[in-house]
Amino acid sequence: MAIVEFQGKSFDVDEDGFLLKFEEWCPEWVDFCKEGEGIKELNEEHQKVIDFLQDYYKKNGIAPMVRILSKVTGFKLKHIYELFPSGPGKGACKMAGLPKPTGCV
Amino acid sequence: MAFVSSGYNPDKPMENRISDIGPRDFNEFMPPVIKNNFGKWLYHEILEPGVLVHVAESGDEVYTVRCGTARLMSITLIREMCDIADKHCEGFLRFTTRNNVEFMVDSKDKMVALKEDLMSRKFDGGSYKFPVGGTGAGISNIVHTQGWVHCHTPATDASGTVKVIMDDLFEEFTGHNMPAPVRIAVACCLNMCGACHCSDIAVVGIHRKPPLIDHEYLDNLCEIPLAVASCPTGAVRPSKVEIDGKQFKTVAIKEERCMFCGNCYTMCPSLPLSDKEGDGIALMVGGKVSNRISMPKFSKVVVAFIPNEPPRWPTLTKTIRNIVEVYKADANKYERLGDWAERIGWERFFEKTGIEFTPHLIDDFRDPAYYTWRQSTQFKF
Repeated sequence: MAIVEFQGKSFDVDEDGFLLKFEEWCPEWVDFCKEGEGIKELNEEHQKVIDFLQDYYKKNGIAPMVRILSKVTGFKLKHIYELFPSGPGKGACKMAGLPKPTGCV
Repeated sequence: MAFVSSGYNPDKPMENRISDIGPRDFNEFMPPVIKNNFGKWLYHEILEPGVLVHVAESGDEVYTVRCGTARLMSITLIREMCDIADKHCEGFLRFTTRNNVEFMVDSKDKMVALKEDLMSRKFDGGSYKFPVGGTGAGISNIVHTQGWVHCHTPATDASGTVKVIMDDLFEEFTGHNMPAPVRIAVACCLNMCGACHCSDIAVVGIHRKPPLIDHEYLDNLCEIPLAVASCPTGAVRPSKVEIDGKQFKTVAIKEERCMFCGNCYTMCPSLPLSDKEGDGIALMVGGKVSNRISMPKFSKVVVAFIPNEPPRWPTLTKTIRNIVEVYKADANKYERLGDWAERIGWERFFEKTGIEFTPHLIDDFRDPAYYTWRQSTQFKF
């Protein structure tokens, strides 16, 4: 696996660019990711999604289902795609530092 | 090769982005004779194995030549198909739901020339590129999966097993010697992508050992509750381990409850279970999807384990050949393999095929297992 350096921090990542350790997450990680995810500038709505994903993961040990993400943040799936063009899994979960989605994806 | 841009601008990924346009309309690709007679077909005939003729109300005829393919194919081979279609069929062709390729022409002479051309094409190794067949009461192409070519959860290979089975049963592809069509399917793990659960004969990759647990990485790579919930027998539970004085959140697996389905590995990369000696193949028979005479059926396990023997899987092909031969000799006309086995009784199926009945074949999964046991005195010695 690769180690990336960004603004003095280093991150362990896999071949898809997901963080290998949730504890390594820091705000710099989001800045590092955003370009690859097609996001110019982060706004409050991005932050709200990332914060919720992290809270939910810490509390439950899993990423929330898409419908839960929508319901709690109040953003429809369409809007989540507008915020994170790669979608809630590849985009938002990656930036929030959650493990890579598994299963038949 | 150096990078060549398609015109996509990575700095503005959403600019000029086309999405949600769906597949092309199938009408764009219909041969004229099909387009003109769409919905107006009177009847059809199978002229010979691999060749069909459909006759329309207008009197128009369309001859279809069906050829086997390996499903996994190069662009070179697809181009060769296109060349054939250009030469004989005005550039039109289609693929069937069993991944055969069909070339259509509008007269008998063209069909004869086309068929001759197809049968003359071979790979350097000697295999037919476009063997004609797959119609009627024969054995058509094998619906199969990724195997070791591309998937990460397989217990066996797909392309390899399919090639050896079709080699062995080739004359059944190019003939109509069966009581009814025999559908064969291959899936390389219990996910059963494709048609294994509803095929006359099904090859399914199975494991025989519980997963290894990568304690140090598990919590980082996996969502533990998902791994716990993925287990059909409740063998996975969350736990903690200490390695070199460090505490790790992880899972524990009750090995005597594990039946090696591999679902937890699908959900969690830290639970790999593939194993060279442990992995192999289970054979199932007797499924069907059509409603003809009897209702659709699930296939049933009749051989619990056949080892992986790449590259030719001799035990596997021998076992399948045996089942096919016994069925061919014993079943009535129009009787699918499952219909035949149910009519003669499964104890007779095992007797006639000589397959050993082992305790593995007795269902023990939850309440419905009870219904698969015999609550009757009706059986044959």
